[in-house]
Amino acid sequence: MNEKHDKNETRPDFLSAWMKMTGDVWGNMFRSWSDATATIRPSAASPGGASSHAQASLDAAMKAWQVLSSTMNRPEIMDSMFKGSGTMPEILMQLAQSTLAGFMEFQQKWFERAGRIGKSTEAYTFEDLDENAFRAWNEIYQKEFRQFFNIPQLGLTRFYQEKVNQTLDKFNLFQTAIGEFIRLLYLPMTKSFSVVQEKLAELSEAGELPEDSQKYYQMWIKILEGHYMTLFQSTEYIETMGKTLDAMSEFSAAKNDLLEDMLNMLPIPKQKDMDDLYKDIYLLKKRIKALEKKLKH
Amino acid sequence: MGEPKIPVDLILSKLVEDADKARARAHKASDVLLGPLDSEIAATPYEVVCQEDRVKLKHYKPVTDIKLKTPLLVVYALINRETMLDLQPGRSVVETLLAHGIDLYMIDWGYPTRKDRFLTIDDHVNGYMDTMIDFIRQKHHLKKINLMGICMGGTFSVIYSALNPAKIKNLVTTVTPTNFDTDKGLLHVWMKAVDPDHLTDTFGNISGDVMNFGFLLLNPARLMIDKYVGFLENMDNKKFVENFVRMEKWIFDSPDLPGETFRQFIKDFYQKNLLIQSKLEVGDRRVDLKNLRMPLINFYGKYDHLVPPQACELLTSRVGSKDTTDVCLETGHIGIYVSSKCQQEFAPRIAAWLAERDAPDQKPRKKKSTAPKKTKVKTAGRSKSSQRLRKDTQRSG
Repeated sequence: MNEKHDKNETRPDFLSAWMKMTGDVWGNMFRSWSDATATIRPSAASPGGASSHAQASLDAAMKAWQVLSSTMNRPEIMDSMFKGSGTMPEILMQLAQSTLAGFMEFQQKWFERAGRIGKSTEAYTFEDLDENAFRAWNEIYQKEFRQFFNIPQLGLTRFYQEKVNQTLDKFNLFQTAIGEFIRLLYLPMTKSFSVVQEKLAELSEAGELPEDSQKYYQMWIKILEGHYMTLFQSTEYIETMGKTLDAMSEFSAAKNDLLEDMLNMLPIPKQKDMDDLYKDIYLLKKRIKALEKKLKH
Repeated sequence: MGEPKIPVDLILSKLVEDADKARARAHKASDVLLGPLDSEIAATPYEVVCQEDRVKLKHYKPVTDIKLKTPLLVVYALINRETMLDLQPGRSVVETLLAHGIDLYMIDWGYPTRKDRFLTIDDHVNGYMDTMIDFIRQKHHLKKINLMGICMGGTFSVIYSALNPAKIKNLVTTVTPTNFDTDKGLLHVWMKAVDPDHLTDTFGNISGDVMNFGFLLLNPARLMIDKYVGFLENMDNKKFVENFVRMEKWIFDSPDLPGETFRQFIKDFYQKNLLIQSKLEVGDRRVDLKNLRMPLINFYGKYDHLVPPQACELLTSRVGSKDTTDVCLETGHIGIYVSSKCQQEFAPRIAAWLAERDAPDQKPRKKKSTAPKKTKVKTAGRSKSSQRLRKDTQRSG
């Protein structure tokens, strides 16, 4: 307890010593530099010259640093600063706790899923699939992480920051959606392999195993085709496909929005400018064609 | 417990045999793949006789005397390219139609760019198609021409003919979706879950590659695995490799789809099914199928996984024409145009059907009964060759 108290007491002293030392070092360097330039190029140091402006700026910066360091040395300011810095770890701790909770939930779902590995899903059935990792992650993301991207932004750059956050959010949602979509596409592969294994066991018991390797391939491709046909008609697939396309569109729109802001700084037309122009040309051409037809008839 | 009867020795010896064959094949294949290959597509000579923006009108050079007075305009879909109709000599719809003395025109939609994103179905049908049809009518001093549509191009042709019946003499629709209220084809099921507004607003045009990926997903086992296994098994066969490469060239040559056209096609066709109900509006005009009073022949594939028969066969019962024919071929979406068997059943049949209806002052045909003349033709039961044909089709996409 005493040790902790001592540490807190020594912190302001250490900081003020560092600030004083920094001020002294930069002050000495600055003095040596101005002496040197005055010796080498006396004209450059003349009043009104570029050099004198730079010197004046440096003078002002040094003075500001000295004022700041002496102010910072006051004990009440030091206390307040350290109190403020103490809140930062609290925020980080909250974020870490939330991440950890999410991770635990994620892991728990994984364990639950692992427990069901032995119970294989029925062949040609895709309606009641096990809860999957992508869904679990999506749930955690929506519940825990997404809020951070929706924190209201403040100040002059709020619109830009908001767009960055939206792009990151949409990217995460798109990644989750495409992950689930790809997992669905992979399912018939795994299912078809297990069905082939079962068939081979049956054939082997009946002593009817084909000698030709082509026949094994034909058997597998036919089963695979059947599984895909069943999957593609399932509500689960159709919903996931729709969600993936939506997520892709939303991410792409957010990314374009962000890029257009960046392109504003460059002397080139943006896609939106070009689209406006294309629309004008399209409408004009349409009117001209209609007029031409009227004239002909 | 009975002993498993596994002929391990036979299986192993067969595997060794297969491995030897594969090695010999790979050796020969390197000669084939490194040597000169003739994989040119769309080789039949033509000239561009009219152009508006990116859209061109091709006129094929006749190879024989023109036997039909009325020229034929072929309208392909906006998805993939019209080169499919002229894939290779001997397997070319274009070649067969020319050989039957048809004066043949075809629309090449070109490659839409970002600036084309605002083009609607109205712009394609009442704009580009109308310009091309008027050009042909004026060139040949004819009031009417023959029109043939492929897939989405067939849908456009139906719309055009319903809006402009005075300009179309005979209408040929092939694998043309007109009834979208079916869950037989996966596209019909999937498109109901797609939000076209979202996609169009974000991407402008719909990428051809993305659409192609969607088409591959319709049957990944066959189109992404089995097809290439088939290639590996035959890559020492020069003719096979050439044909395979031709098909690959065509299938992955995918122009983007103008955004506004995609939006309307998904909403009004796939999601609301307005065309078959004669409720569709294009360019502020209602498309009434009863206006289709010209002779109509409607081809579709029994094993078409993109546009199933259910999406095609309702059309003839909804039109105003009394001379309609449905032809269901035992093949798939692409096989109808490129399979060897359909070369005999498809294009020659169109030529004969058009020839029967080519008289300039043709009077209405006498009806044998009071019922309108509706012909429904189906090919005979599945023969061995038709099964092979189906496999070809699946492999070719």
